[in-house]
Amino acid sequence: MRPAAALALLAAAVAAALLATHILSVAVLTVVLLVLCLRAPSERRWPYLVGTGISALALFVVTPFVETIGSHPIWTGPIVPVIGQLDVTREELASAALNALRLASVGLAFAAYALLLDHDRLLAAASFARRSVLAVALATRLLPTLERDAGGLVESLRGRGVEVTGARGRAALVSPLLSGSLERALNLAEAMEARGYGRAGRTSVPKPAWRTLDRLALAAAVVLVVVGALWL
Amino acid sequence: MALAAVEGLTFSYPGANRPALDNVTLSVEPGEVVLLLGGSGSGKSTLLRALAGLVPHFHGGRFSGRVEVAGRATRSISPAELAGTVATVFQDPEDQIVLTRVLAEVTFGLENVGTPPARIVPRALDALREAGIAQLAERPLHEVSGGELQRVCLASALALEPELLLLDEPTSQLDPEGAEGLLELAVGRASAVVLSEQRPDRALEIATRVVFLDEGRVLLDAPIDEACDWLAHHRPAWIEPPRRAAGEVSAGDPACRLAGVSFAYEPGHNVVDALDLELRRGEIVVLAGPNGSGKTTIAKLAAGLLEPDSGVVERSGRASLLLQDPGRYVVRDRADAEVALGIRGDLDRARTALAAMGLADKASRHPRDLSSGERERLALASVLVTEPDLLVIDEPTRGVDPERKRELATALRSAAAVRATLVVTHDRAFAAEVADRVIDLGLVPEAAVA
Repeated sequence: MRPAAALALLAAAVAAALLATHILSVAVLTVVLLVLCLRAPSERRWPYLVGTGISALALFVVTPFVETIGSHPIWTGPIVPVIGQLDVTREELASAALNALRLASVGLAFAAYALLLDHDRLLAAASFARRSVLAVALATRLLPTLERDAGGLVESLRGRGVEVTGARGRAALVSPLLSGSLERALNLAEAMEARGYGRAGRTSVPKPAWRTLDRLALAAAVVLVVVGALWL
Repeated sequence: MALAAVEGLTFSYPGANRPALDNVTLSVEPGEVVLLLGGSGSGKSTLLRALAGLVPHFHGGRFSGRVEVAGRATRSISPAELAGTVATVFQDPEDQIVLTRVLAEVTFGLENVGTPPARIVPRALDALREAGIAQLAERPLHEVSGGELQRVCLASALALEPELLLLDEPTSQLDPEGAEGLLELAVGRASAVVLSEQRPDRALEIATRVVFLDEGRVLLDAPIDEACDWLAHHRPAWIEPPRRAAGEVSAGDPACRLAGVSFAYEPGHNVVDALDLELRRGEIVVLAGPNGSGKTTIAKLAAGLLEPDSGVVERSGRASLLLQDPGRYVVRDRADAEVALGIRGDLDRARTALAAMGLADKASRHPRDLSSGERERLALASVLVTEPDLLVIDEPTRGVDPERKRELATALRSAAAVRATLVVTHDRAFAAEVADRVIDLGLVPEAAVA
């Protein structure tokens, strides 16, 4: 399948998850996307899965305390100045679960895009907004590059007898990591300019024709969005 | 007519208090292979960037004089417009990779310069074939080795069929055989080549002319024979065969012992297999061998950054390890503070260590503002200042000029008595200058220990 068709399917899954109102429907979409992500090599997929899991869990925990809906309290807490009375209702829990699953779907769809799609072919298929597609493809590489740089930085410090421990120790690495990635970005920009990037009269590799499977995938993407909006 | 002409070029980077290039004049004729030599920060990379039009278009700064390539003044056209006429291979291949697969990476430049669509893939495949990596065409770039990555960068440049090929220390990450192959490949594929190198031995064999830079000025611009005579008289470290640095000591008690050590990153694929190695105080051991032979893994095992899957590693005292490409991993915003990190912020000791590496005047500079060779020496100061019982250094001469290498060899030898030292290097000349013992992982076991 062409990466563009696969991307359309992923985007449709995200749209369906955001439009659907039944927890079970969104849960099924989330599980399907999770199974898809599990096809990626474990050493590459874990940062995406852990990041998605933590974000979804945080949303699930916070939502009942910031929402005020429902009339079936499960727990009633103290009155907090400014916020008011803390309580958790059954409806709030259901809403939290739905939103957490939606967020998980978005995170997993991005993980599938980052881990499983061929970004080069996606870029080649972009007949318009090519600069934006390239920017997104380069940004997608940021996470694994930062992860590798962080590993190298910690290893380099350990080699000098400096152990990086605790949240403060790790937080201290953020600034050098960011400046390192800025330096890398500058070097890359220079190399791209030296290779003619941005010059007028650009051509591209001939694009392969759309096959039946690609057309079916596009149709399925449209159907998925419509079904998500109307029935899920 | 000259393919490239530089006339009275003076250039300063933004905020710099001295010019990186100072009244440089030279020309490059078709068929020439011009070798740029000079110490760290002497202006070699800046001159290459001026020939590519990146100076001043990309970097800004103060520019006076004139640079013409193929009859076009670089001030009046952008580097992207020059691409194709000029192709550049930069020092660090990882920083010039744009896409994710080998073939797409090579086609990137061809698309940008407007190659007819039907010709793009055939030309990219031809370039990969010439570079000897046609079998990698569909391989993801994160799966290829450092040496292969450097060949991908060269193939990307050669695919453009440039008139002028600019190579900025392209062999710094390669083993001697890989470096030789890459240089031979590059020469003859472009009308002219301008090459910057810190390991001049191989480059001098292929160059037709040498330009020697010092603090941005051209000290020498001469044909190869005349240049060799000049180097022998004025810069002997660049041309002399390696000589062993002074400081003979006898080996003492072991600081580290690896017995039957095996290690694999992936189950079933041992990178290190049943290795026995003893590192004694007073002794400098050099670990050599081709890319991918497990040298860095052994260094990490010896220093305790990796635990073996089987076998035993015993150490007595403190171990410090300087990893490859340490300039990438700087933490502090001043050079002295960076060095002081491993000694609980003792800035006095840090400045002494910097001075020993010839960086006394750089103590207050941001490490990222230093040249690549200066960063290497800064990193070396950062581990030497910890006064380890076992010092492990991985490729310490990358980007370091021969004069500094000689100083480094002397520094290592003079301090060898107090510690065991393991040096991982591709640099045969440096190995000959420092080593008491060379272990070559590319040889059969019986021949490995010399």
